This record gives sequence, structure tokens and C-alpha cells, in this order.
Amino acid sequence: MQNGKNGTLVEVRDLAKTFKGKNGKDVAAVKGVSLDIRQGEIFSLLGPNGAGKTTTISMISGLLAPTRGDARIGGYSITRQGIDAKKLIGVVPQEIALYPTLTARQNLEFFGRMYSMGGAELTKRVDEVLDFIDLTDRQHDKIETFSGGMKRRVNIGVGLLHKPRLLYMDEPTVGIDPQNRRRVLDTVKRLQSEQGMTVLYTSHLMEEVQEISDRIAIIDHGQIIAGGTLGELIQQIGEEDRIFLKVGAAAISEAQLAQLRRSVEGVTKATHDRREIKGEDDAVVDVDGVITVLAKRGRKALPPLLQAAEEADITVLSVEVREPDLEAVFLHLTGRALRD
Amino acid sequence: MRKIWAIARNDLRIIFREKDIWINLIVIPVILSFVIGYANGAGRVASAPEAPDVIIDVIDGDGSATSQEFLAALRAANPNFVLCPADNDDGDRCELGGAAFDAALAETRLRDQTALALLDIPAGFGTDLAAGQNVEIIYRSNENATAPSFILQAVQVSVQRLGASIVAERVGTAAALTAPGLTLDEGEQAALKSDIRSRASDLLAAQSSYVNEVVSETAGTQTNPGSGGFSQSTPGMASMYVMFAVFPAAVAFMTERQQGTLQRLVTMPITRWQLLGGKLLARFLLGMLQYSIVFAFGYLVLGVRFGNDPLALLLTMIVFTLCITALTLALATLLRSEAQASAVTLLLTLTLAPLGGAWWPLEIVPDWMRTLGHVSPVAWAMDSYTSLIFYNGSLATVLPYIGVLAGMAAVCFAFGVARFRIE
Ligand SMILES: Nc1ncnc2c1ncn2[C@@H]1O[C@H](COP(=O)(O)OP(=O)(O)O)[C@@H](O)[C@H]1O
Ligand SMILES: [Mg+2]
Repeated sequence: MQNGKNGTLVEVRDLAKTFKGKNGKDVAAVKGVSLDIRQGEIFSLLGPNGAGKTTTISMISGLLAPTRGDARIGGYSITRQGIDAKKLIGVVPQEIALYPTLTARQNLEFFGRMYSMGGAELTKRVDEVLDFIDLTDRQHDKIETFSGGMKRRVNIGVGLLHKPRLLYMDEPTVGIDPQNRRRVLDTVKRLQSEQGMTVLYTSHLMEEVQEISDRIAIIDHGQIIAGGTLGELIQQIGEEDRIFLKVGAAAISEAQLAQLRRSVEGVTKATHDRREIKGEDDAVVDVDGVITVLAKRGRKALPPLLQAAEEADITVLSVEVREPDLEAVFLHLTGRALRD
Repeated sequence: MRKIWAIARNDLRIIFREKDIWINLIVIPVILSFVIGYANGAGRVASAPEAPDVIIDVIDGDGSATSQEFLAALRAANPNFVLCPADNDDGDRCELGGAAFDAALAETRLRDQTALALLDIPAGFGTDLAAGQNVEIIYRSNENATAPSFILQAVQVSVQRLGASIVAERVGTAAALTAPGLTLDEGEQAALKSDIRSRASDLLAAQSSYVNEVVSETAGTQTNPGSGGFSQSTPGMASMYVMFAVFPAAVAFMTERQQGTLQRLVTMPITRWQLLGGKLLARFLLGMLQYSIVFAFGYLVLGVRFGNDPLALLLTMIVFTLCITALTLALATLLRSEAQASAVTLLLTLTLAPLGGAWWPLEIVPDWMRTLGHVSPVAWAMDSYTSLIFYNGSLATVLPYIGVLAGMAAVCFAFGVARFRIE
């Protein structure tokens, strides 16, 4: 096996995928993604739903044939040397992919055999994995009797069976409670520190990406729009703070926003979002309006901003200032919030 | 190979986790073999039915020893032949109903299919044959009828045999006469002649195995359909339930795609062949198990006997199951959802089975339907089982059916493999 320069384990080059849509229209899900993932790092792909994360992972795990481009895993082309490349990868798919009527142990043993494991070696390895995912005592229970969090752990366990050098984890924390989410994040960190595993992690949640990643690529509409360490990404946006002014149900005009932008030094952006809070029967019970302001040195800009708001006839109900984070980076680059 | 086997075993394990699996595999097919067999006449006849009489009318215009010899050879060619009126007995095997047999009656009997064929041996048959001249036996059968060509073949073989023994007699006698130092008087010559002829005739008859095979080949056409009973329902229901066992693989492909395990397998270091091979092997084995269960029940409980060629029987089971497995793969590439797959495979089973003669013998349906029925692989399998079970057919006689099934399997497999996509 050969690695690229600087210990690069995964080289993705100009990868693209266009799906044939149902109505004959083509869907360009991924439009030319290039990435380098280094040996031993946790690399995150951060982007909103529909950005193309799963499609990208599917292509570099050999599940989908790219429309264009290629990826090399440990030097092996995923499109032309698929079997060799696949031996190096462990995949944890976004959706649980297990046989529900088989037990946890049977699932693990079966998938282990697909990596040419067998006999005592397989038994021992399955024991280890069960221990690692903390399900030794439930190993003989059927998957369908498991809670969502337990299923997730088995789903991860399958990806670890053959001690892969590289692990893909596609949104492994979606749909589980905070306790299990914590557990998954700790697992990822342990895999890196204890086993030297390289991890490609995707998520639409900036908090977890921020916590675990060595390097991050932000993906939106099938394209990488920024990449680097957390520090590098924040620097790219000039370290702007975000100030949230809650305004309740009040209607805010574009003229009022323009006034805010004009009259306070350091403000680069001011946008208004209204969100209706619905109760039973879909009746609107409240309206939550927020003005988001981007400003350098937000704390200093706050007093003049509140003054300007008053002059612009905006009633501010409460104020929150946030230091720059990935959310801010994404907002800055796309003009949209990550969670939409 | 180990991965293929691992995939197959895993699939079988999942299949046997399904509730109702044993009901579908044992209880229902076994009950149906009994009920359908009973409905098809098993209650009326012995469960191991005798092969039916094949009535052949003979107008012997020659009435010589040679024509008698010929008819004897014909009887020997197939024990089910009843040469009428000569072979009539107290039970009226010839179905003459007391009427006097003559050319006009023979004509009527041929038309209404009481007799399947009419042989007209002209006067002078014996003397012409002895003189080495061409002889002519008029063979007629009703073209509309099930017109079993095996009768014609038996007639031809008997004529050839007779001719061959006469040739042997002439050649042998001539050779003896020209042999140096051998002089024979008239009486000795005659004795030699008849000796050679009878030996030749015996020798030729001893090769009867060849003739018997020819005779049983087209024997799928019988005069007495419905007497099959359990011998018909057992292979019929077994074949239908093989479809019930194998077709759900098309649904299982969708289920696996939906639960993501198929995609997961694709990200693992296995080839497409190993993946498809393992999945199809599992269903193939399940199909063979289904056959074994129903056949075992038929043999042990219903008293069905499966003929004398276990290899031919096994091969028929194998190619039919293969064919259904390949068809399943082809279907899986055409269907879009689990619900659609369930509906289509159910419909297909309930069409292909009766169409192919799994519910009742194809002999009782109109010609066009019988012809149409042979688009169904079931029809070819049933042809083979019928030949083996009812007519003691051998591998040689059922090979054409096995060949057709293998061909159907190959076409479906090629189609399925070419179209199969995981995405
Ligand atoms: N099989 C498919 N056929 C058509 N469109 C698809 C298919 N898979 C994904 N897409 C589309 O491609 C885009 C990217 O999807 P995906 O990679 O799943 O995004 P993410 O994982 O970032 O949420 C979406 O617009 C999605 O609707
Ligand atoms: Mg996704």
C-alpha cells in the first residue's frame, strides 16, 4: 500500500454525481468535490441536509459510481481497484443497516465474514467489538428488540470489525438522545487516540463538528465552500461576532434593517427572521422574530446598536452575543443558517 | 466461495426466522398435494396408476406368419399396446362394445379417437418381404388427436426389425451355401434359414431397451387423463410451492435495499458475483428443500413412485428450481417496490402454475392452451415428471425438457445480471 504525500490517506479528486430525477430532470447532488484526508486525523464534512454528504461518502466507499472524478484510498482507486480500497475502509452508514431479525452477534459475525474473517479470529474480534460498543450482555438479542441508541452502536460496531485504517461515519448522531450522542462522540475520539484510526465524519451539527474535528470541510449544494482547521475557517470570515436581537411579533421593514447597517460601525450584515410558533390545531400562538447582526468586535458594537434600534423604532425584547463559530462561518458564506 | 456460502447461510437463517415459514414450506403444500390429487382422481384409481392402454386397430389383410411375427414385435415394443381386434378380451380392452370389426368401423374408431392409430397390412406382405421386395404398411393416425408419434416409431422399429431378420436370413444362408466344403440338402437349408431368422429376431428383440425409450418419449399424451391423482398433484404442487419459496427473493432484494444491508454489503470487499451468487444460492437451496419435502410426503404417504431414473428426477428438480431462481433475479431488476414485488410474484405463481399443468394435467385442456402453457417453465417440468412417473421415462427421454428449462434459466439469468443495480 502506498500513501500520498504528507501521509494523505484519502485523495478525492473532482468527484461529481448527477442523479437521473424521476421527472427526467437531472439532480446534480455533488458537483466536483476534492478533498485530502490525512492519516490519523478526524476530518469532518459539515453541511445542511441535502448538501451532498451522503452521496460523497457513497461514492468514496464504492457504493455509487461517480459521474466524474475518482478517489484514492491508500493509493487504490475506488472505481478501478474497488476490492483493495474497500478492505481499508469501515463504513458506518447514516441509516441503521442491520438485519433486524438476527441477533447483534449474528450480524457482527456475518459482516465479519465479508472481510474474510472466520473461526477463532472472528469469534475473538466480535467479542472485542461487543465489548467496545458495550453490548456484550445483549449480544444474543435480536436487533429489532434494541433501542435506537443500541442499534446505532451495533451499526458502528460493524464498521469496526476488521480494524479498518479508515472509518466513514455518516451522521452517526442523528435521531438519538443526548446521552447516546455523547457516547458516540467519545467513541470517535477514542478510536483516534487509542487505535490511531483515521475518521471521516459527516454532520449538519456544528457543535459536534467543532468539538471533535482536526480539520473541517463545509459542503453546500454539492460543493466544498470552505475548508481547514476551525481556527482557519473562523479567520476567513474576519472573526465577526453575531448579535441576536429578539423582536417578537413586530414587523421589521427592510428600511429599518438598512438603518441599523448604516448607523453602526463594524456591522456587515443585518437580517430579520420570523418564525411562527404553532400550538394545537396549527393555530399561531406566538411569533418569534430575530434580527441577526454580524459585527466585528460585537461587544463594543452593542451599545450603539441598541441606540440605533431605538432610533429606527425597533423594540428589542432581549439580546444575545455569540463569538464566531462554524454557524457564523456558514452564515457568512451562504447567507443562510446551517439548520434550515 | 466462502463468502458466497456465508451470504447464502445468512439469508437462509433470516428466512427461517420468518414466522409461518414451516407452514408455507410443509403444511400447505402437503395438504394441497393431497386435496388436488384427490380431486384429480386419486380417490378413484390406485394411487400408483397403471399406464393406460394404447389401442391400435389392425386390419391384417395378409394373415401370414410374417404379419403375425410383425405384430408380435409391435406388442413387444410397448406392453401398453393393445392390437385390436386380436387382443380383445372379456373386459373389452378394445372397446368394441360387441360390434363386429371391419374397415368401416376402424375408420370411425380412428376418427372418434377410440383407436389412436390404424394399421393396414396388405395382402402379400409376407411373401413380398421374403422375396426382398419393398413392403408397405399403411399407418394412419388422427392428426387432430394427441397423435402419439411413439406409435409410428414403434411400427417403424418393428418393420425394420422384421426386415433386418429377413436380411440376416438371406445373407446367412447365402454365406453358408458358398462356404467351401459345406453341402446342404434342401431340408438342411430350410432348417438353417429358419434358425438364422429366429436367432436374428431374438437378437434384435434383445435390444428392446432402445425401442422402449423411443416409445415412452411422447407418452405425455395419454388416453386417460385425470387418472394421475397424487402422481400428478405431487410434482404439480411441489413445483408451484418451489415458486412460492423462491419468488420472495425478489421482495427480499427490495427489503434489503430498504433496510440498507444490501448497500452495506456493497461497501465491503466482495464482488458482485459473490453477492448475487450467495443470495441466489440461498433461494435455490430453499427451493430444493421445498421439492424434497413435498416429494418425500408424496412417496411416503401418498404412495407416489417417481419412476426408475433418480438422476433424471433430480436433474429436473434442479433445472426447474434454477430456472425459477434466475427468473426471480430478472424480476427483481424490473420491480420497484416491495408491495409491487409481492403482488407481481403472487400473480405470476398463480398464473404460471395452472398454465403449466401444476393443478390439472395439460392433457385435459384445449390444444391452444396446452401450447400457450409451455411458455411456463412449469409445463416443461411437468412434462418431465409425467414422463418419469407415468411412463418410466429415462434421462434420455426427458433431456429435451431439461434442456428447455436450462435455456430459460440461462436467458433469465443473463437478463438479470445485465440489469442488476444496487444503487
Ligand atoms: N438516489 C437519488 N436519486 C435522486 N436524487 C438523490 C438521490 N440521492 C440523493 N439525492 C439528492 O442529492 C442531494 C444530496 O443528497 P445527500 O447526499 O443525501 O445529502 P446529505 O447527506 O448531505 O443530506 C439531495 O438533493 C438529494 O435529494
Ligand atoms: Mg446524508
